[in-house]
Amino acid sequence: MEQYKVLGHIGEGAHGVVQRALHRPTGRDVALKKLYVRRPDEQVPIQILREIKLLQKVQCKHVIKLLEVLPQGICFVLVFEYMPTGLAEMIKDARAPLTEAQIKRYLEMLLQGVEYLHAQYIMHRDLKPANLLVSYKGVLKIADLGQARMFDEKATEERPYSHQVASRWYRAPELLYGAKVYTEAVDLWAVGCVFGEMITKAPIFRGESDIEQLCVVQKLMGTPSTKDWSQLESLPDYNKITFLPMKAVPFEQVIPRCSSSALDLAKRFLVYNPDARISAKAALEHKYFFSMPLPCPMPEMPKPFDGHREKINSKECDTGDSSGLLCQKFNKIQIN
Amino acid sequence: MFSTSTQKKYWLFADESELLKARSEANAKFVASHGPKMTEEDRNELLDANEEKALLKFYELQLRDFCRRFEPPMPRSVAGTAFHYFKRFYLIHSVMDYHPKEILVTCVYLATKVDEFNVSIDQFVRNVKGNQTKAMDIILNNELLLMQVLNYNLTIHNPFRPIEGLLIDIKTRGTMVDPERLRPGIEDFLDKAFLTSAPLLVAPSQLALAAVLHSASKIGENLDIYVTKTLLGDSSPEALASLVEAVRKVRSMIKSMETSPKEVIRVLEKRLEKCRNQENNPDSEIYKKRQFEALHDEDEKYGLDFPSLIMSGDLKLGEGIFEINKSMTSP
Repeated sequence: MEQYKVLGHIGEGAHGVVQRALHRPTGRDVALKKLYVRRPDEQVPIQILREIKLLQKVQCKHVIKLLEVLPQGICFVLVFEYMPTGLAEMIKDARAPLTEAQIKRYLEMLLQGVEYLHAQYIMHRDLKPANLLVSYKGVLKIADLGQARMFDEKATEERPYSHQVASRWYRAPELLYGAKVYTEAVDLWAVGCVFGEMITKAPIFRGESDIEQLCVVQKLMGTPSTKDWSQLESLPDYNKITFLPMKAVPFEQVIPRCSSSALDLAKRFLVYNPDARISAKAALEHKYFFSMPLPCPMPEMPKPFDGHREKINSKECDTGDSSGLLCQKFNKIQIN
Repeated sequence: MFSTSTQKKYWLFADESELLKARSEANAKFVASHGPKMTEEDRNELLDANEEKALLKFYELQLRDFCRRFEPPMPRSVAGTAFHYFKRFYLIHSVMDYHPKEILVTCVYLATKVDEFNVSIDQFVRNVKGNQTKAMDIILNNELLLMQVLNYNLTIHNPFRPIEGLLIDIKTRGTMVDPERLRPGIEDFLDKAFLTSAPLLVAPSQLALAAVLHSASKIGENLDIYVTKTLLGDSSPEALASLVEAVRKVRSMIKSMETSPKEVIRVLEKRLEKCRNQENNPDSEIYKKRQFEALHDEDEKYGLDFPSLIMSGDLKLGEGIFEINKSMTSP
């Protein structure tokens, strides 16, 4: 630990804090993620073991690289390469709105990372803009494998997975219905949400509670039917919640102002039935990536400057207003 | 993938002499740092590297039996992972520094979690004879230490999956009748191999192949043609040579494996009680004193008000803090 000099605070999660630091011997910029063993008299949580295990296994340009693990008092410190910003901040950056070609490249990099993880039998289970980091060179990297797990052994009724995964706005419908046996398709729903968010600049399904989330999804996607999704009625919470029948809003209104190929691809991510959802591999072969404008060449992708994350986030107001209304107003004032 | 694993990168050694060197260094380090502080009488009881090895062999047998008797029955890969952890730990530390019986259960416990064989700590310690609360404390105290010594290299590639792959391959591409007959011989071979240094010296797939070939020869089958023509096919002659060498290595390790008679072990254990690092002995006075001091340090560091913890009756939390701290501050 003495080898690192802490330079500042990056963020906070359920696990603990993330700090920026300097690796003294090499002068390398790093991010330190502290994982607390929650109660000191307790065992090391299995999630931490999984995260360390998976991070050591992955080797992909689009997945964050773990440099080392250090012990520190009652916590562990994971040392990562430092990333100046994330996709969330790139979306929010009003000075440089993302072009369609850039969105295409970000989505492509995201899908390449997801394809890699899935090929390694890893499902991430918490994909969202805040967990997608962007390097100085503009390369997108999937971060935070804190909820990831291997799926080489399929979940069964006897050995289920936890359904309390993924941040609410990006949580796939099967998870919202309490599924404990599910597949890596949950990640592709989240990818669809991120895709829509890049285009519209706001999360497309914004529920304030888990139940409202299901309602918000249905308001836009319509009431799910067993015709398209045969397992629907067998999901644990299916009979616990019913909403008034709703008709799907046309996709052009869910994600307005985008090309027809973009719409077509988004539709394939945001499918109720997980088995019918497109895979990362198939999505990369979708015509969206081969139609004009082509994905932005890497040299022309935005290169975030040091401090981009802090600059963008300092514009957000911290009023605790969860509806986001105040934030929007504040942003407008800033722009004018 | 094994080829990109930490196991291959950091924990696969060239030969037995490298392991011997590491163990001798751990032994020498302990003697140098603790010998001078000991009484003349205790110093005479210090173990040498060979005596440590004999004790480790004995505790590896204990490890095997503990895993076999474990309730609920555990997958073989969990035991395999625990064996790897145990062997790695004593390349770094002397037996005299951390008692094998304590590290043994911690290895199995960590292995159950890493291998996703989910048993709770309560369920786990029900498998331990004697004081289960104490066992729980020991395990939880040592868990962080063990992870640290392993340098957080937690994933273990065991030979069990390659075995399944080889059997499927022999069934589909080989000519042997009923390859399932190989199983008893394979299991026997692997059981023995885990008691040797083989897991630190050969790749899991080679260990698996050695087991299959050994088992075949036991029942009078010959898989040479399957190996040279089908399995290796167009690979280079060097590939065959290195494979043959690995198989030979494991076989000779198993043959030359020896266990010490009970009486010898009993004497060594008695000496270990005298020469072991009392700071890491949960029954020693100095351990208890250290814990108490560590707790006070921790108070200051984390701004915890220890007296108020006692007052509020939340003693359990207080104990927990110093116990973890203890294991972290130990070298």
